[in-house]
Amino acid sequence: MRKILIIAVLFYILILLQTSFLVHFNIFGHVPNFILFLVIVLSISETPTPKFGVGAGVWGAVFGGFFLDIFSSGPIGFQILIYTAISISVRLILKKYLWINILKTKE
Amino acid sequence: MRLSFNRSKILIVVIGILLILSLNFFQREVKNFFYCISFPIQKVLWRAGDRTSDFFEIIVEIKKLKTENEKLKLKIQELLSENTELKELKRENEDLRKALEIDLKKDFKLILADVSGKDALEDFVLINKGSKEGILKGFPVMTSQRTLLGKIDEVYENFSRIILISNKNSSFNAKIITADDGVLGVVHGEGNFRVIFDLIPREAKVKEGSSVVTTGFEGIFPEGILVGEIKKIEKNDVAPFQKAKVEPAFNIKELNAVFIISDF
Repeated sequence: MRKILIIAVLFYILILLQTSFLVHFNIFGHVPNFILFLVIVLSISETPTPKFGVGAGVWGAVFGGFFLDIFSSGPIGFQILIYTAISISVRLILKKYLWINILKTKE
Repeated sequence: MRLSFNRSKILIVVIGILLILSLNFFQREVKNFFYCISFPIQKVLWRAGDRTSDFFEIIVEIKKLKTENEKLKLKIQELLSENTELKELKRENEDLRKALEIDLKKDFKLILADVSGKDALEDFVLINKGSKEGILKGFPVMTSQRTLLGKIDEVYENFSRIILISNKNSSFNAKIITADDGVLGVVHGEGNFRVIFDLIPREAKVKEGSSVVTTGFEGIFPEGILVGEIKKIEKNDVAPFQKAKVEPAFNIKELNAVFIISDF
């Protein structure tokens, strides 16, 4: 529960930074998307079998997507869906091509 | 046991999805709540970002400043002579108005607002005035330098969202100021603060650096508000019209306060 709360606060701070601070530092007209970056990092860094079934990556995707929806013109839920799909895809790729090899090596 | 665990898991996911979807019914209230609690932090971050980017820009552009300074000195000379000419024309104009006994001077009714943030994905800007202050959808918005920024797209109780002229969904009539009558066309946004002046007749002679102003034909924007400057003209032998890239007159990085025109 504490971990989820930390993730929510972290993503809230990040969205505020992205919409108010980083706007001034756009690269070729694009503001760097740190929400996406952090969702991918969290999805990669989480363990193959996280506690309670859902890892930090998915929670990050849910909160990151939610705050992106709040601070953008789209309907609430659209970015949550996209970011959750990205997080799950990263997890599936890792599970299929990387984690299985690590587990086999350990055995 | 395993089956019941999966069932409860599915139930939680379904409840979560329904909860998120139901938030859409109170979208305005939810967004207004988050904007309200975020505004003080966003304001501080916006100013901090502005100052920091200014600092880095000065370091990067210090070399360019010398040549730019020379150019600006020349420009000042040009403008001074132009200013004298305009003062003369103004005096003449005032004399004519007096003679006709018509007062054409029309001031805008303005509402001042602070910029609190930019939309995370598109060319939108969030300001700290909403329906409480009498702001309505469609009100034109300009900067303190009287340059066009966009119009109000969404109104919340304490906040409003401005659709910038560079947004892909923004288009309006405008004209390029030329020596003759002016060239009419349509300005539309291309996203990422890029603006295009389209539907310029093939035979029209347009110079780079010419100013683009609003015509006020649709009744959305007042007439004669500066939109930007022609940057590059794209002429194609096959196309029936010319196109031009426009450098918007506003600078998103320097936006702190904006003026909403409530009556014109």
